Amino acid sequence: MSEYTPTVTGTGWRARVQKFGAFLAGMIMPNLGAFIAWGLITALFIPDGWINEIARLVSQNPDATVPFATTTAALVGPIIVFLLPILIGYTGGRIVHGQRGAVVGAVATIGVILTPLAYGQAESIADLGPQFLGALVIGPLTAWILKQWDKLVEGKLRSGFEMLVDNFSAGIIGGAMAIVGLYGLGPIVTAINNGFAAAVGFLISNNLLPLAAIIIEPAKVLFLNNAIGNGILVPLGADQAQEAGKSILFMLESNPGPGLGILLAMMLFGPRAVRPTVPAAIVVQFLGGIHEIYFPYVLMKPVLFAAAILGGASGIAVFALTGVGLRGPASPGSIIAYLLVSPPSDIVFILLGIVVSAAVAFGVGALLLGFGRKEPAMDLDEAKAQSKRNKNKPEAATA
Amino acid sequence: MATIDGSSIKKLIVACDAGMGSSVMLAGTLKKQLAKTGVTVEHSPVANIPADADVVVTQAGLADRARSTVPGVPVVPFQLFMGDPAVTKVVKAIQSGETVEV
Repeated sequence: MSEYTPTVTGTGWRARVQKFGAFLAGMIMPNLGAFIAWGLITALFIPDGWINEIARLVSQNPDATVPFATTTAALVGPIIVFLLPILIGYTGGRIVHGQRGAVVGAVATIGVILTPLAYGQAESIADLGPQFLGALVIGPLTAWILKQWDKLVEGKLRSGFEMLVDNFSAGIIGGAMAIVGLYGLGPIVTAINNGFAAAVGFLISNNLLPLAAIIIEPAKVLFLNNAIGNGILVPLGADQAQEAGKSILFMLESNPGPGLGILLAMMLFGPRAVRPTVPAAIVVQFLGGIHEIYFPYVLMKPVLFAAAILGGASGIAVFALTGVGLRGPASPGSIIAYLLVSPPSDIVFILLGIVVSAAVAFGVGALLLGFGRKEPAMDLDEAKAQSKRNKNKPEAATA
Repeated sequence: MATIDGSSIKKLIVACDAGMGSSVMLAGTLKKQLAKTGVTVEHSPVANIPADADVVVTQAGLADRARSTVPGVPVVPFQLFMGDPAVTKVVKAIQSGETVEV
């Protein structure tokens, strides 16, 4: 008998939430390279980016700007306003209906992007903001409509007319959905976007943002890290960063500090059999940014949920109190990615926040593990069996 | 409970949520370990596991989703991303061509 007895094929709440989250993250994650290109260009070339700050330091002139940087900074706006949402709409369309879906998803996305122009909320293209939420909805939706059409006519076309019908059905559905996006969907997603922004603003201005860790840290460990980090916080953060030049929202889920603290606690005070596996995990987590690697250790010792939450909350508190943010997403959440997208003026406090969150997670974790004193010489199988029991409890209740 | 026959495995898939992070890492390790056997090792998102997979290896928290993606394919759940006995068991079964229960 194996200890890995499979549970009934999964439709539990966790699998369902994960699936929806993976659908959202699946539209963002293949495009992270473009987000990072945008983040790096922003970090380097904007008025208070690295190049101008260094020029000011060297020339001792606080108003110095480098013309090359000023010109290059023109890339920032169009990338976030047009390229990134269109890539998301394209990818969303591709998930639903392959290459044809991708194309109509991209076409439809341009409509939601231009909504503020249609309603007089923006004077010109330069006033537009990114419409990630709109892209996340209309890309897959348009592809789904085309898919239904393709199913309808499949096998019914007269030979020789396939290409004509295929091209014009995609053109007409894509074009029509661009108009629907422009006038119909745009205002709805703008309202929802504003609602999100107001909620985030409320949390920030009332110093409540650290409470987000109560949701984010446990959700991460249940493998909702991509759903929350990339599916929700990256688009919201990019939205905020377009206006403010940086965003704290990029740091809520991706902070490598809490995971580092937990792994250190586990290395010194965890079950003896798993201690030797931890050092390699620390490298992968903190430098490589693959946070998944510490989740099993938390599931193995569920008291560590508290360490993760308090570590995450204290990191966010430092970030919020010092008013720091990242230029673009740090994805994967590696310390190296953090340094590459940190504004020059914020880097010290960002590192401080990471260190504090790691220290708090380690301290709380060490305390909850009883500094290893309660730890008998437990072997790996036993530890894993226990983790499995703990993990199956909530699912058994809902199954 | 599923039985896998090590000698019949031609394609092993390592799956994770996005198919970009942890699965790539573990697939890299397994590729090295299975290099001599000629078994194809690939990584993928759990929602998108190729139907021609002979066995799927994934973290226990994602195993249910992997099973619903490819109902007929044995799914081996593991806990730790490094040095997990369940993964070692599959590797040994493939190397020796033996049949194991997973």
